[in-house]
Amino acid sequence: MKIIQPLTIVLCFLLAGCSNISPGGYYWGKYSYTYHDLLKNPSDSTRSAHERTLRDIIKKSEAKNLRTPPGIHAELGHLLHKAGKGEEAQSHYQAEQKLYPESEIFLQRLLSEHRNGDEE
Amino acid sequence: MIRITFAISLLVLVTACAEVQTKSEAFPKMYSETEKPVSIVVVPAINKSTAADAAILVNSTLTVPFADNGYYVLPISIVSDIFEREGIVEGSQIKGMPLEIFKSSFGADSVLYITINKWDTNYIVIAANVVVGMSYVLVSTTDNEVLWSYDQEIIVDTSGDSTGFIVADILKTAITTAMTDYIPIARQVNATAVATMPFGKYHPLNGEDAEMKVVLKNAKERAIDSLE
Repeated sequence: MKIIQPLTIVLCFLLAGCSNISPGGYYWGKYSYTYHDLLKNPSDSTRSAHERTLRDIIKKSEAKNLRTPPGIHAELGHLLHKAGKGEEAQSHYQAEQKLYPESEIFLQRLLSEHRNGDEE
Repeated sequence: MIRITFAISLLVLVTACAEVQTKSEAFPKMYSETEKPVSIVVVPAINKSTAADAAILVNSTLTVPFADNGYYVLPISIVSDIFEREGIVEGSQIKGMPLEIFKSSFGADSVLYITINKWDTNYIVIAANVVVGMSYVLVSTTDNEVLWSYDQEIIVDTSGDSTGFIVADILKTAITTAMTDYIPIARQVNATAVATMPFGKYHPLNGEDAEMKVVLKNAKERAIDSLE
């Protein structure tokens, strides 16, 4: 009985510390919620709330030494591109491709679309 | 005696209906070096339910479970922008198309179709529940063959605790049901279905789950039927 109690406490701490990490080993923050709000009601305020979520995921993943989940850097890059922040967008596309080489063809397509769009 | 006979016949029924397969028996292509997908493009959900909001809700909950299961999910928000420009707002518009195009222009190994079959709220005076039924079909962009499929239905009680007074209970049930947070419900359906899917490249147990006996053969086949 005396052993069980400290063990339970340690276990609680462990669980609480890990509770933000998904079964796949990622930190997702409020991803589904802010993305849902943005889909349901696209506006400057839902867009910036989702941008904050994406930045929070990247920051916390780095702090917790986790791989940033698939698509997060690309999605942030896309939001930044739409907001006219091309250079910062580029760096996030590059980060996505470095983490997930499978994204290369898709991101190249996006970049060429952006270039064509900018010329118009 | 009646009870025993009933129990036995139930047992026979259950074993006859519910054939359970291992992940590799059910989805052999997912364990083949040449056919196993790494990346998934999710096409907009096909909504067969009466709830108009269900598609948006489901679309916003899909990245997490499939990424968690070890796959590279192409960013849904960007992909759906591209689809919208091409005039594609529902997955059914892509059915029958040669999927090779998603390989050449997106670099995706597979396409995931989602069908929302049911999204109903039922009231029984002081109790209420939500029934959600969805099916998932993952198709290869190389040969248009089904790689993984599953059909899942769950019922969630949304009535809240009784206050002991019937009028108050009716009101409370209506209020809690109206305010129900549907994201956890969508997540629960996704998680139950995805539990039958072989782990992908980024999962620590990739390739080690072949013998997990978790796939109901019926549910696997039903999903394919609902897409047709």
